[in-house]
Amino acid sequence: MSGGYKQQPGSGSGEVRKDGKRVAGKQSFGPPGSGGSRPEMKPRDLDFIPEMVGGNEKQPAGAHIHDRARTGTTVGKAIPLVDANAKVTGQAWYGDDVRLPNEIIGRIVRSPHHYAKVVSIDTSKAEALPGVIAVATGEDAPNKFGVLPVTKDEHAMAVEKVRHVGDLVACVAAVDEATAREAASLIEVEYEVLDSIHDMKKGLEDVDEPIHWRGKYHVGTTNVQKRVFQEFGDRSMVENPNAMYHGKWKYMGVNHGFTEPHAVVAHWDSNGRLQLYTPQQVPHYAHRALATVLDVPMHQINVIRTFVGGGFGGKSDPFPHEMCAAILSRKAGKPVRITFDREEVFWVNRGRHPSHIEVQMYADEEARISGFDIDALIDGGGFASFGHVTSYYNGVLATAPYELGSFHYTGARVWTNKPASGAMRGHGAVNTRCAVEVGLDDMSEQLGVDPIDLRLANLLPPHSRTISGFRITSNGMRQALQEVRKGSDWDNKFRKLPLGKGIGIGCGFFISGSGLPIHWDPNKFPHATVHIQVDMDGGVTVHTGAADIGQGSTTAVAQVVAEVLALPIEMIHVRSHESDTSPVDLGSYSSRVTFMNANAAIRAALEIKEKLLNAAWDTLGYHPDTLVLNDRRIYYKHDPAIGMSYLEALHKAQEDKGALISSGAYRSPPMGGVHKGAAAGLAPAYSFSAYVAEVEVDVETGIIKCTDVWAAHDCGKALNPLAVEGQIIGSCHMGLGQVLTEQMVYGRTGHLQNANLLDYKIPSVHEMPNVTPIIIESCDPEGPFGAKEAGEGPLLPILPAVVNAVYDAIGIRINDLPLTPDKVWAAIAKKMKVEGIDDPSELPVPRIDFSDLQEKLAKRAAEHEIRDKKRQRSEDTNAYVNGVLFGFNPDIPLEDQVEGWKSADKPQPEQLAELGLAGKAWLKQEQRHMGGEN
Amino acid sequence: MVGDEYVSMIPAATSEVWSAEVNGQVREVLAPSNAILLDVLRDKAGCLGVKRGCDMGTCGCCTVMIDGQPRLSCLTMAQDAHGSSITTVEGLADGAHLAPIQQCFAEHGGSQCGFCTPGFLVASQALLNTNSNPSDAEIACAIEGNLCRCTGYQQIIESIQAAAAIHRGEAESARAASDPHPDPNPSGPEEPTMPPGHAR
Amino acid sequence: MLMPPFELHRPGTVEEACKIAAELLEAGQEFDWIAGGTDLIPNYKWHINTKPHVISLSGIEGVSQISMNEIGCMARLHDIAQSDQVHPLISEAASKVASSLIRRNATLGGNLCLDTRCFWFNQTEEWRSSIDWCHKCDCGTGADCRVIPNQNELCVATYQGDIAPNLMVLDARVHLIGPNGERDMPITEFYQLDGMTRNVLQPGEFMLKVTLPDDVSDWTGAYRKLRLRDTWDFPEAGAAAAWRKGDRSTLRVATTALESIPRRHDTEVAESNGDVKSICDAVYKSTKPVNNTSLPPRYRRNMIKVLIKRACEE
Repeated sequence: MSGGYKQQPGSGSGEVRKDGKRVAGKQSFGPPGSGGSRPEMKPRDLDFIPEMVGGNEKQPAGAHIHDRARTGTTVGKAIPLVDANAKVTGQAWYGDDVRLPNEIIGRIVRSPHHYAKVVSIDTSKAEALPGVIAVATGEDAPNKFGVLPVTKDEHAMAVEKVRHVGDLVACVAAVDEATAREAASLIEVEYEVLDSIHDMKKGLEDVDEPIHWRGKYHVGTTNVQKRVFQEFGDRSMVENPNAMYHGKWKYMGVNHGFTEPHAVVAHWDSNGRLQLYTPQQVPHYAHRALATVLDVPMHQINVIRTFVGGGFGGKSDPFPHEMCAAILSRKAGKPVRITFDREEVFWVNRGRHPSHIEVQMYADEEARISGFDIDALIDGGGFASFGHVTSYYNGVLATAPYELGSFHYTGARVWTNKPASGAMRGHGAVNTRCAVEVGLDDMSEQLGVDPIDLRLANLLPPHSRTISGFRITSNGMRQALQEVRKGSDWDNKFRKLPLGKGIGIGCGFFISGSGLPIHWDPNKFPHATVHIQVDMDGGVTVHTGAADIGQGSTTAVAQVVAEVLALPIEMIHVRSHESDTSPVDLGSYSSRVTFMNANAAIRAALEIKEKLLNAAWDTLGYHPDTLVLNDRRIYYKHDPAIGMSYLEALHKAQEDKGALISSGAYRSPPMGGVHKGAAAGLAPAYSFSAYVAEVEVDVETGIIKCTDVWAAHDCGKALNPLAVEGQIIGSCHMGLGQVLTEQMVYGRTGHLQNANLLDYKIPSVHEMPNVTPIIIESCDPEGPFGAKEAGEGPLLPILPAVVNAVYDAIGIRINDLPLTPDKVWAAIAKKMKVEGIDDPSELPVPRIDFSDLQEKLAKRAAEHEIRDKKRQRSEDTNAYVNGVLFGFNPDIPLEDQVEGWKSADKPQPEQLAELGLAGKAWLKQEQRHMGGEN
Repeated sequence: MVGDEYVSMIPAATSEVWSAEVNGQVREVLAPSNAILLDVLRDKAGCLGVKRGCDMGTCGCCTVMIDGQPRLSCLTMAQDAHGSSITTVEGLADGAHLAPIQQCFAEHGGSQCGFCTPGFLVASQALLNTNSNPSDAEIACAIEGNLCRCTGYQQIIESIQAAAAIHRGEAESARAASDPHPDPNPSGPEEPTMPPGHAR
Repeated sequence: MLMPPFELHRPGTVEEACKIAAELLEAGQEFDWIAGGTDLIPNYKWHINTKPHVISLSGIEGVSQISMNEIGCMARLHDIAQSDQVHPLISEAASKVASSLIRRNATLGGNLCLDTRCFWFNQTEEWRSSIDWCHKCDCGTGADCRVIPNQNELCVATYQGDIAPNLMVLDARVHLIGPNGERDMPITEFYQLDGMTRNVLQPGEFMLKVTLPDDVSDWTGAYRKLRLRDTWDFPEAGAAAAWRKGDRSTLRVATTALESIPRRHDTEVAESNGDVKSICDAVYKSTKPVNNTSLPPRYRRNMIKVLIKRACEE
């Protein structure tokens, strides 16, 4: 299965030690790739070849364009990560493991103030300290950068102001860590302290000194960084609802908590090129930002991605410390290494936004969801980071998987004097999703129906369009719900468990790759490119820029290439660390790598395959259509005795040409609407998931223990079930942290009080429930072999599932995450007061009597199931847009058939009065409309 | 602005000879007398497989075996390990062959990003050395000091159980199959075989 | 993170340790003791109250004994937790301290002499500079207490050791030794109410061992710990109870993590005539935790009722 441990190859006869083990480093190696002979040649594994191309694999979701490329080699098999051996032997090299000769140590000087003007910086004492080699300040790098081109607001070090405690002010490099730390404390900075803002609600108000200034686009003189308004559908539908949910939610900020602290090594080599080693999820954006900040062309920089010790979105921005290392190294003429303390990781943050989210949801007399009203105010901290996108995601990623009558979203992201929030696993979708799913649970209670049936009867089908214009392709939501219902024995547990035990459901919906790449305008370059090179030794070198952050993207690429070429995966060598050798890839964010990069890899591999088969055609005389690729052998379909080995074919193909080279690329198809923000949330495919969680609540202490989770996730096609299950279980762990214990606590003075792994409470092995991962394969038509994402979507459902389960257990809904025991206990105490009871063991437990609607919904769900199956298998190819459930004709534009149907991206004057908390950002005018100039 | 409040880092403590048997090899290095074992192992003894995650004993990435006991090297004075026998992740493999615990972590998804893996491997190997038939609860207790942010621990426990089975002799080590094997007919097939499913 | 510079002394005997301490005292040099290091090392890395000298107890022979009536200061918590020689209440408490890995280093002496904790204090040097330091580690600035401002007399940092309340209810005695000789006292008298003073240890003194009464094996009880995660976390509140087997009138109750010291509640128990609910209420009334740990003080105060009730369950 695994590649074994092959670091010491050598020639020899396989000498045997006394204890029977072979002597290390003495095994003889056959020429790799020769293959084709017994017993080394693996027979074709027909269980992993689809029926439609002659194998045994069932295809309940229909055929796929890549079926013809399947050889039964690796796809669908649980195989270890190709870099697992490096990791289990300690040879994987992470940021701080890069030790170059003559390295010196860098250290960053950070602001002790929340918000202040930097009046002066005196570095003379530090420079005079023996052993100090270089000192840099903001003056050394005045150019701004930022991960999004529209919101570049960061400097390598403070240029004018510091914006949070821990913001970078200066940096030093010295012969050793002690000297560097000492020098950092000798840098004298004079500050003029400004009034700081810590409460995100205050960010909506006009102030004298906004944290950033956006010129003519600045909203009043507030700290609003981005505001969003979106409205779709017929607002009159929400009048006279049959059920309505109104919830005001509060979410604390959450940090990624990856185990590897940031570290960077910068070195200007003898040719004056920057070699920058960094654990980056998105090396390409760091590459661009470095060029901007350092004022050198991109080709003069080689970004080397080290192994990444966990990313989860927290290593996807270009970071100021990367610039600092480069600047120091340029000054010192030596390699500079900067490694963070754990506290500095929290100061860089980019974690999930602290948020206030208000949702109102409505259901009509037939238990159709007639409207969502969402208002999300999110706390961006000191910088923009990915916040522009997050502001949209908090709303638009709630527009599926349910069919909606109307959708109304107002969002605002404000700057505050905290470490910047950014992208984190489940980017922008997590918090709103939790509120929405709990709202559905609440409405199902009001309607007297089972919450799973309510969902099943309101799902968008495969190959449909959401209310905001997203194109849904494959959709395994229904099957996911059915599987968890069955697996968890839901029907015998829901509303039937005793006090203190509860069960709850939650669903998720997430993008599989961002439809519009951040930096490519106007979407003409590919999102991912993969080069393949095969030379006479038979080994296949794959060049890709995809950043493996532990999720296994390198393995996925190796797998799809191995699958297409029918080679053992050990013969595929993925080179993905250096920007010098890797084609541009947009990196590991928005769950895009498997989908986009593997698609590009398949294209490149198919080109190689074609060359090999053409060579075999020359020799064997059979047309490539009649040739079969098997493990290192090509043969005639109807007479396997006629064939040649892979190496023979390769060498034939190389005649007069040299190495076989191919390049494959992926670009998402044009899609989506034309309204402002239509690109946000647009993806070539979407993942769906449904979880059922079972919890135990200690009614005396309020301590919640999640005991079991049934986790169904539609990843299209599990290229590697082992990795998919790992993602599902890992997502459960991370989501569980957010819902139960994790929070970034800013105390009364605005200081982050738990910037370490003792006080930031990541669940331990004891807090983990027993997770049953269930893989749903809906076979996405555009995904590589049908695959979609599995890295982020699985995180979403665990939060609402737990919150709903807590309600099932004690009859209390808490809208303030995390559900720490003190909050639960306080809520129980309050309820006891209301109920007039002294003993928490007498708390009433929610029970349910199904109404007449229940049967109706079950019937509707059964009808929809048939509809969905037909659509999934392309037996029904009629258009389906959100609104058909409400009786509209999908072939006529909705605005032409429904009076009042509209799509708006800014509020009408008459709406201003009724805007929610974040919506209030629309009460201010932009500077350009106020006569302001810059 | 910056005053005497800061603890001065200079002059650093004097260096002394520190020696220990690291992964079966005696290492003698010069290290500050007040050094932490983690710093000595990483910066002086070249054991970069020992990872620094939190620096305060709450992530377990720096776990090493000192005289057979799993210990947090970030909370151990180097001097306390002077003269001891230390095993890091680099010392688990048997020559070029992976130890069962390493093999199982690779094959059962016990390692994703891999940063916590060295600590988990050492902690679980220490458990298996004393108990080759651990219950899931005993495993949980043995790895409760290790933090993993990727896997959710479940596949780690499965990996350790699989390795325990190999230790007990109940399961074959996958080693033989995964070791490099000679190709009996390197120049290619002479007599092509009939792959199943494609009969004439 | 790098340790700040200090000179490490590694005596091989108790006498040698006392001698080094005496010499340093005489030279007017400040120093700390280090046992397992799990408390001191993170604090030193964060430059919290560092001293130019540190005397390590780890090389001292014969101070890690574990038995029913005597436990040495250097007995590792892992060994105590695994031992069937010690009182089950003590091994239970030891097994609940931090994580299995930390317990390999952590010692009994270190746990009993644990520095008090506070989220304004247990932070890095850079962090503390951002709040302009605090009373417990003022770095010569005369900084105010950040928990209860406008008073810089008392430090209200919280004692978060797990073992002490259990030793209290078992009537243990602690034995201290220093340049001026050995002395012992009931563990209830060892602690002194102030987050900085913490205990009665004089400069140069360290805890040598803990002894338990001869009849300790006749006693039974339980320890209940409140924490968010079943590993790593210090107690947010903790309650130990013990009574002579079959005789509830001998009930003793002690609590931890509610103030700067652990405390045995003899008055509350006596006044309640052994009624557990009254004890809970009385202890609830007499304790006032402050806001310097992970969970809010109001909750911790209320939970002490539940913890005592559960510790007293037979």
